[in-house]
Amino acid sequence: MTMTTTTTRDSLPDLIIDPSPGLRLRRAIQDTGSVLWRDVIRTTRQPEMLAFAVVMGVFFLVLFNYVFGGSIGAGAGVDYLTFLVPGVFVITALQGAQQTSLGLAADLAEGVTDRFRSLPMSQLAVITGRTIADAMRNVAGLILVALLALLMGYRFASFGGAVAAIALATAVGYGFSWLGAAIAAKIRQPDMVGMLSMFWLFPLMLASTAFSPAETMPGWLQPFVKHQPISVASDAVRALAGGAPAGNDIMLTAAWIAVLLIVFGPLSMRLYRKID
Amino acid sequence: MTTTESSPPVIEARGLTKSFGDVQALSDLSLSVNAGQVVGLLGPNGAGKTTAIKMMTTLTTLDEGSAAVSGFDVTTRPNEVRQLIGLAGQSAAVDEKLTARENLELFGRLYKIPRHERRRRVEDLIEQFDMAEFADRPAGTYSGGERRRLDVVAALIANPLALFLDEPTTGLDPRSRADLWDAISMLAAQGTAIVLTTQYLEEADRLADDILIIDHGKVVASGTPETLKRQLNRDVLEVRVATEDDVATVLSVIGEIDGVAADVAGRRVGIPVGDGASRSLELLRAIQDGGVAITDFQLRRPTLDDVFLVLTGSLAVDTEEGAA
Repeated sequence: MTMTTTTTRDSLPDLIIDPSPGLRLRRAIQDTGSVLWRDVIRTTRQPEMLAFAVVMGVFFLVLFNYVFGGSIGAGAGVDYLTFLVPGVFVITALQGAQQTSLGLAADLAEGVTDRFRSLPMSQLAVITGRTIADAMRNVAGLILVALLALLMGYRFASFGGAVAAIALATAVGYGFSWLGAAIAAKIRQPDMVGMLSMFWLFPLMLASTAFSPAETMPGWLQPFVKHQPISVASDAVRALAGGAPAGNDIMLTAAWIAVLLIVFGPLSMRLYRKID
Repeated sequence: MTTTESSPPVIEARGLTKSFGDVQALSDLSLSVNAGQVVGLLGPNGAGKTTAIKMMTTLTTLDEGSAAVSGFDVTTRPNEVRQLIGLAGQSAAVDEKLTARENLELFGRLYKIPRHERRRRVEDLIEQFDMAEFADRPAGTYSGGERRRLDVVAALIANPLALFLDEPTTGLDPRSRADLWDAISMLAAQGTAIVLTTQYLEEADRLADDILIIDHGKVVASGTPETLKRQLNRDVLEVRVATEDDVATVLSVIGEIDGVAADVAGRRVGIPVGDGASRSLELLRAIQDGGVAITDFQLRRPTLDDVFLVLTGSLAVDTEEGAA
């Protein structure tokens, strides 16, 4: 049994020895809130970061719709914009995950991480706080992309569908944020991290059903394309936004998010703790 | 915290040893710091000072040895240790996008100082360390001195029992340095146990009750400033001559006298002279008798370089080009 002992110090926080699991959890949540507070302030001081988070989505939305829309759209069976917008949501959220990687790597390259590591705080909070801040920025970015889509003539099936689509895309981005965090904790050099992110981001993004249906791709590639997380998520977000039944795809997406969290959550923590 | 003669040391390190790959960063460093005491780790870049600080503040693992703060072992009880220490690392460890006030608020939150207390503490520190002028600008816009001050103040937010300052005044202008020295002395007077690293002999002399001189990861000398000075404080006679040939002549002349190790940088020869003035006159006369035209000379107090020359027989810092 653990027993919490506290010692009062002159006008200072009590010294806590052997905190109970409940107290430890409460403090970890408190720390996550503090780091989140810090990351949100940072985000508002760097509006260009929000712009970066959105710019990829905007590019894909505009370029794919007007440049490739004719050729790719033919195989989609529906108006191409209707097909494209949910996929762009998922890609925008992935972009946010890359920002987790870059932001954490920048922190690790700065001295502030040494400070965090010397403080009586949950070290998990450094990553948790950041992933939550990035998810919040993702929501803002997704709303901007949705507004642009509306301007281009896209229509959600319902308001609820729009909210659900943004929520699911954000959740997918959150899962990938932990992959980004693991890469950052392992590599720690911002420019290298940026390069490495491309290696997982581009294949997953392009060999997916985010921009075009699997049926338009070569047969040998289709099994991968159909089951990889970006495709499953794109299909699920597409169904939610379009008001179609999506039970199976949502379950699969949730499963992928769970896998990402279970694998990369502990892994990024272990890598972060290994920093010497 | 009451301070009595019998109090155990606040910071205690025994046989700290660490290597990175093949490089022995630190070997067998021991120190003990009581409440109100300042221990200085003095040495050049790469001597192992930062490694020692990182080991004592839970940032890096120990290969061998042990370290404890208030009896809590850094390896087995890092969470307790972190509640008791403040660290100002060598790289300014503050968030550059946040203002000084926000940085202090953030670190205060992470130390779990209750909100009301925290607000008061932040305002007190800003006033006490004369930071009001820049407290609401993002730290990224600060001068070197302002940033360093915030870095040190951030380490004080929870009023730590043990304070670790890694080269707190490196890169500061003389005025900021003097201010920080006053602040460090004041904290020690209030009972904080302090470990301080520095490259400056003068700084260690001014602040530290005990000094450990470190070179290539090893403690080469230790003691109070007075002890060390009795041991090391040799005046240096610095002689400038016109040509390289003259340098050689000077070296041979003084070599004949008693074979002292001289330090040559360009056309400047630094000669350790134990008892200052009379010895210097003797040497100058001998050099002149050797037919060398002395263009300039001065008698100066020892620098860290001289201390190292005496202790290790080699120059500590490669600053030849900047030495003139």
